[in-house]
This record gives sequence, structure tokens and C-alpha cells, in this order.
Amino acid sequence: MSVVHARADEGLPEQPEVLLVDDDEVNLLLTALALRERGFRITEASSGELALKLLRQRSFDLVVLDAMMPGLDGFDTCRTLRRMPGFENMPVLMLTGLDDDASITKAYNAGATDFFVKATQWSLLEGRLRYLLRASRTRIELERSRAELTRAQDLARMGSFQSRRQLGFQLAPEALRVFGFGPLDAVSMRSLLRMVPAEARRKLSDDLHKALRHMSPVTTDVPAVLLDGRERIIHVEAEPEFNEHGRASAYRGIVQDVTERRQAEDEIRRLANFDSLTGLPNRRQLILRAERALEHAKRLQHQFALLLIDLDRFKVINDTLGHGAGDELLLQVGRRLVACVRHSDLVLDGSVESAGARSHRALEAVGRLGGDEFVALLPEVGGDPDAERVAQRVLEELREPFLVSGQECFVTASVGVAIYPRDGSSVVDLLRNADVAMYSVKNQGKNASAVYNPMLAGQGREKLELETALHKAIEREELVLHYQPQIDVQAGRVAKVEALMRWQRQGRLVPPGEFIPLAEDTGLIAPMSQWALREAARQARVWKDAFGFDDAIAVNMPSRLFERTDLVEQIHEYATQSGVPHRMIHLEITEDSLMKDLQAVIPSLHRLKDIGVEISIDDFGMGYSSLSYLSQLPISELKIDRSFVRELDLASKSTAVVTAIIALARALGLRVVAEGVETDRQLRVLERLGCTMMQGFKFSRALPAAELQRWIVQNEALLSGRADDSGVPRLVNG
Amino acid sequence: MTAEPDDSPMPLDPQALARLRELDPDGRQGVLMRVMTAFDTSLARMIAQLDAEGDGGNAGVVAGIAHTLKSSSASVGALALSRVCAEVEAKLRSGDATDLRHDIDRLVVAAEAAQRSVAAILRP
Repeated sequence: MSVVHARADEGLPEQPEVLLVDDDEVNLLLTALALRERGFRITEASSGELALKLLRQRSFDLVVLDAMMPGLDGFDTCRTLRRMPGFENMPVLMLTGLDDDASITKAYNAGATDFFVKATQWSLLEGRLRYLLRASRTRIELERSRAELTRAQDLARMGSFQSRRQLGFQLAPEALRVFGFGPLDAVSMRSLLRMVPAEARRKLSDDLHKALRHMSPVTTDVPAVLLDGRERIIHVEAEPEFNEHGRASAYRGIVQDVTERRQAEDEIRRLANFDSLTGLPNRRQLILRAERALEHAKRLQHQFALLLIDLDRFKVINDTLGHGAGDELLLQVGRRLVACVRHSDLVLDGSVESAGARSHRALEAVGRLGGDEFVALLPEVGGDPDAERVAQRVLEELREPFLVSGQECFVTASVGVAIYPRDGSSVVDLLRNADVAMYSVKNQGKNASAVYNPMLAGQGREKLELETALHKAIEREELVLHYQPQIDVQAGRVAKVEALMRWQRQGRLVPPGEFIPLAEDTGLIAPMSQWALREAARQARVWKDAFGFDDAIAVNMPSRLFERTDLVEQIHEYATQSGVPHRMIHLEITEDSLMKDLQAVIPSLHRLKDIGVEISIDDFGMGYSSLSYLSQLPISELKIDRSFVRELDLASKSTAVVTAIIALARALGLRVVAEGVETDRQLRVLERLGCTMMQGFKFSRALPAAELQRWIVQNEALLSGRADDSGVPRLVNG
Repeated sequence: MTAEPDDSPMPLDPQALARLRELDPDGRQGVLMRVMTAFDTSLARMIAQLDAEGDGGNAGVVAGIAHTLKSSSASVGALALSRVCAEVEAKLRSGDATDLRHDIDRLVVAAEAAQRSVAAILRP
């Protein structure tokens, strides 16, 4: 009981302040005593006049007023009190005599909260006082929460309304504000409906009539044009209210301005489904559409096609004209591609159901998968020719030059086509196979289209597997270096050793021709070359310690490594780690790649030369070296391409080229080395032409480090000793 | 009625006294004495006011005095006085102002009797 009581009094003052007003001092004294005893703080006043004075001076929680008093009686006191600001809701208990019905009515008319028949049963009085305090507290809280509700509704741009048979349609002030009216404006249902555009109004009227007929709830979003011209979206929610006989007597509900929310939702939906650069459907939206198209095709037993469109050489444009121009180009390409199909801007969401059997036509679109990859989705095709026709249209559309950053540029594309169900039973399969077909176009010279066929997949998959395996080759330590000696036939000694990369994959040596181009395509060539540098430095040290090796090991470098500003530091680090001088590392760069990135490479070449790392140009004679550049490059050596050496046996034209290269090298003060020397005849011709540095099977193929060490040790004596009559050292073949 | 002419004081109602004592069980606040003193003072003032009304008095004023004395006398246990007050107040409030002198006399007699009862407690 006491617990319940305590809870009921929660939030009430611990000692309520009571102003007790009675002209009779006996009653005043007794009542005060009794209430003090029960935990009230009592202030006594012996007249109405004194009571009003006290009320102005300090605050009370409650007033107990004797009704009959000389002078200002209880009723007058109460009436005066109610007129004082801030006392409108002060709880006032009027004490009346027994059976004094007239006083009771009079008390209420004077504004008393309640009355109590004078008696000496104090606990009854106490109970009544506490009840009044609780009621007052509840009332205060109610008013506070009503104020909070008003504020919250204002913030949420929300307000309530009701529609009653007798009273008609009424909007709360907050609801009036939603529609841009003032709190005192009289607004009819009709004038609100006039704000709704005609078409939406007809639908709304229908909905409302239907709801009224069935007495069902209403929930709808309605567009409205407010009197000031603002266009808003108003959310309306209403429910019927039933009287005690179960008959609907009214509708009550809320209206809310949800314009911002709807705009935000639309924006989110747009961002989630469309590419921000081109405004085309993005990957997510494309896949949603493709899946829907696939369902249709499956159900209606027809075919549909995915075209994967990848721009050729887009990277070059991006790199030369900048990313801004690249973006501009993608935007324009997107526009042209859209013109190739019956593009639909429909937003497909998981929740939106397409209607009608032919609605799959609305799925047709061009979208951007990312980067320079676009997809055209053709939801129904009769067969390959339909899809190929669109592919041709795409290639045709791109033929006209694009104007980007004030510059005309030409773009072509490679298009891969996959058709459901023949080329895949899922969207993922279809996309992958379109990709395979697209790559086959790239490999065959680009700017064309191809329909997928399973033969292509085999090649693609193999390449993919190889690529994956190559990624792991370094960490699995599957890469090894083999070494081929370079002989100075005149001096009769090993002049240098070239390191050649080999890949030991699953117990078999993968030929460099199979994995080096792949490594270059994928960029793996960079970490692989770095590994080769470190390994060569380490091997130089091992040989140095083993048999006093003091020559250089040449490592092949792709041009992209020369572009790295830290190449010099890396070589220094590897050499230092192994404890060998810089000069024991040489680098070889092919003429091709040197010329392609000449400007980017030159600074590194200078710095390398400065620290003693020599550079030779590999496969020389095949490229298109500008001789003027060659004279200025800080290089030390030219290596004659093996194709010229091979033909020294047969063609006199080759002899002319080799002669020219040797002459050029001599003029520039460069060493010259012949590669791929296999026969005695080649050796003699080269020697006669003045090229004494040679490399090839005639001496040794590339060998594992330990075998090369053995080879050098065995042949050292022979090399440094006497040559035979022909001037050619007799060597032990490796 | 039979007690009215009797001079020996009519004891106050024991139940009412008990309720007063309940307000101050250990008597530390001297509640009983304070209430009796207050009632005594009040009686003296009321008697004086009633005497002042006399012939041709104001029925409203007399009814007011009766009203006040009615509840305070009930509170202290002067039940006879309380009853007389109630009767007189009811008569006057009903608009019957005939023989006001008699009403006043009834009130004064009863009030003086109550005075004696109170005196018995205040000055035993």
C-alpha cells in the first residue's frame, strides 16, 4: 500500500506548501496542526484579504479556503485569485458546511477546484489534498506534453485534422501551417483539394470515397501546389473513429510535409542505381535489370543478349589529356551508346514489380559497369544477328571523332556478345562470357565485335589461371635466375654474366615467352624485376666468395622500373646488403621499351651511371632508335639482336647491318655484344667484323647458378690459355 | 435542554477531546491547552458581538457568528453549543428573522455554558 502510495506521489513536492484560510482561529489552529502532522507545510491566514496578500508574496502548491468568512468570503477570494495571472490553474479546495448544497455550486462557480465538507476527519482531508496535488501535477504534465507535441509537429511539418459529421472539417494550427496557412485561417476541404493537381486529385477523390464507403483507414502521399506556388508532397494518414454504437462518427488523422524526405529517397535511389558520371544505370542497376530480363526470357522462352563494350586505348587518352578529359569522353561515349538501343530510364528496385507481359522491353538500356566498360542489355533478341547488328551500330556510332578539351580524338571499342540461354544460364556467366568474347577482340586487333563461343573460354581460362599462379610465384619462391656467360673471345675470358628469369611451376620450367608478356600486361613485371635485382646481387656475392668472381651480372629491366625514382636507391640497397660494389650490377633495357618512354627513363639512366651501374641496350637493331638520342644517352653497351647474328651464316644484308652497328658503337665509344651466337662461322664473322664480345649456345646456354660456377671453373684455363689455330677457344660445352 | 439552567459545567465531548489529544499524543506541543485557549478567546469575542447586536440586530451577522461557532464548538466537543448554533443558523439562513432577540439569547446562553466547560479544563 505504502509503495503504491509513494509511486502515486512521485514527482510531487515532499512537503507541499499549503495556504490555509479560515476566520475561525480554532478551526485554523486545528486544521493546521492536523495537516502539519501529515507532512504538509502550512501557512495560516485568518482572512481572504490576508490570503491574497500572501499569494502575491510567495508560491504555494495549494490553497484551502473556508467558504464563510466575514469580509472577503471564500467565494470572492477564489474569484479574485483566479483573475490573478499565473493562478488560473492553482488548486483551490473550498471548505463548506455540511449539507450546504448552495455553497457547493457557488464554490465551483467561483472557480474552486473542489470542495470539502468541514469535519475533523483529518485523514479524509489529507487524502483530498493529495488527490488535488496529483491532479494538478497531471494537468501540468499534460499541458507540457501538449506543448511539446505542438513543437514536435512543427518541426516535423506535421499537424492533425479531424472531420466530424456535425463540426465538419477542422485542421489544427500545426496542420494549417503545413499548407502555408495562418492559425486562424478558415480552410475547407474543398480549398485543400484544389491545391492538388488535377490528375492526382481525381485519384485522391476516388481513394477518399472508397475509404469513406468502407470506413477504412487512409494512407497516401499527395502532391500539392501551395498558394505561394511551392510544390510539396503531403503525406496523409487518417483513421475512422467509432462511437459507442460502433458507428463511424469521424475521421481523425495527420498531414505531414514529406517533400524533403521524398527528395532524399529519390536521390538515394538515384545514387544507388545510376552512375554519377554518365547518369547511366550502374553495375547494380544493370545486374538487377539483367536478372529481370533473364526471368522473362526463361518464362517466355526467348533469348536476350548482353553486350560488353570496352573502349580501346582509353588509358592512353586518360594519361595524355588528363582525367577531366577522360571523364568528358566517357560522358560523350555514354550518350552515343544510348542512341544505339531503345534506352529506358526506368528505375528497377527490388520492391518495384514490373507489370505486363511485354514490360521487359522497358529493361533495355546501356549502363556503365565502371572504368571504360559499358554494357548494353537487349532484353529480347531473335538470335546472334540481332545482337551483332547492335554491336555494329555501336562501333559505327564511335567512328565520328569526339571533341574533348578542345581536341578531336578518336575512340574505338571492342565488343563482346553473350546470348541467353546459349552462352550462360546466369547473369554472372553471361557477363563473364561477354568479357571473354570482348578480350578475344582485343587480342585480334580491337575495334570489332565477337560473339562468345566456348573455344574462346578455354584460352581465357588458361590465361587467367596462369596469371593467378604468377601472382603467387614470387612468394612461393618459384622464380629462379639462370645465367648465361658473355665471352670476350679476344681476351679469352668470361666478361659478364646475363641473368635470365625462369619460372619453375609444378615441377616444370615455364618458357619466358609464356610468362614474361603476361607479367608485363599485368604489371607483375615490376616486383619480379626487383626480385631479380636482389637475387643477382646475392648470387654475385656467393660467387665472389666461392671463386673470386669479380665481373658483372646483367639484369633485364622493363622501362617502367626506370621510371621509378627509387630504382637507384634500390640497387644501392641490394648491392650493400650483399656486400658487392655497384659495378657488379649491369642493367639491360630493350631498345623498344627505351625508345617508348625515353624522356621518363633518361633521368634514371644518368643517376645509375653516376653510381657505376652500366646500362646496355638489348635487342639492338630491331627498334627505331634515333641516332641523335643514342649519342647523348649514358649507356655503355649495345647488344646486337640475335636475328641478325642468326643470319650471318646466310645473308649478306645482315652482315651489312651488323657492320653498321659495330661501326656506330665504336664511333660512340660503346661496347658491342653479339647475342645468339651458335656456330663457328658466326663466331668467325663477328670476330672479323671487330665484335669480340659474344653470348650464345656456342659457348653455353643459360645455366643454374651452381652449374655455371662449375662451367666457369672448368673453362677458365681453356679460356685464358691458348686458342687453337682458328683463334677460337675450344670449350667444354655446358 | 434540561441541563441549560444548571450551573455546573457540562463536560466537553470525550470523543472530540480524544481526537484533539491524537494531534499531540505526548502533549509536548500543548495542543489541547492552545485549542482551548483559542476557543475561549473566540467565545468571549462572539458573546461580546452577540450582546452588541441586541434589539434590532442584523440577522446576517448573527447567522455568521452562529456558523463560525458551530464548527469550532463541534471541533472542541462543545456539542450543545454546536447544536444551538446549527439550529439558529438554519433558521436565519432560511430567511426567518422573527424574534432575533430570542435567537441571540439562546446562542449567548449556550456560549456561556461552553465557556464554563472550557474553564473547567483550562483552570481546573
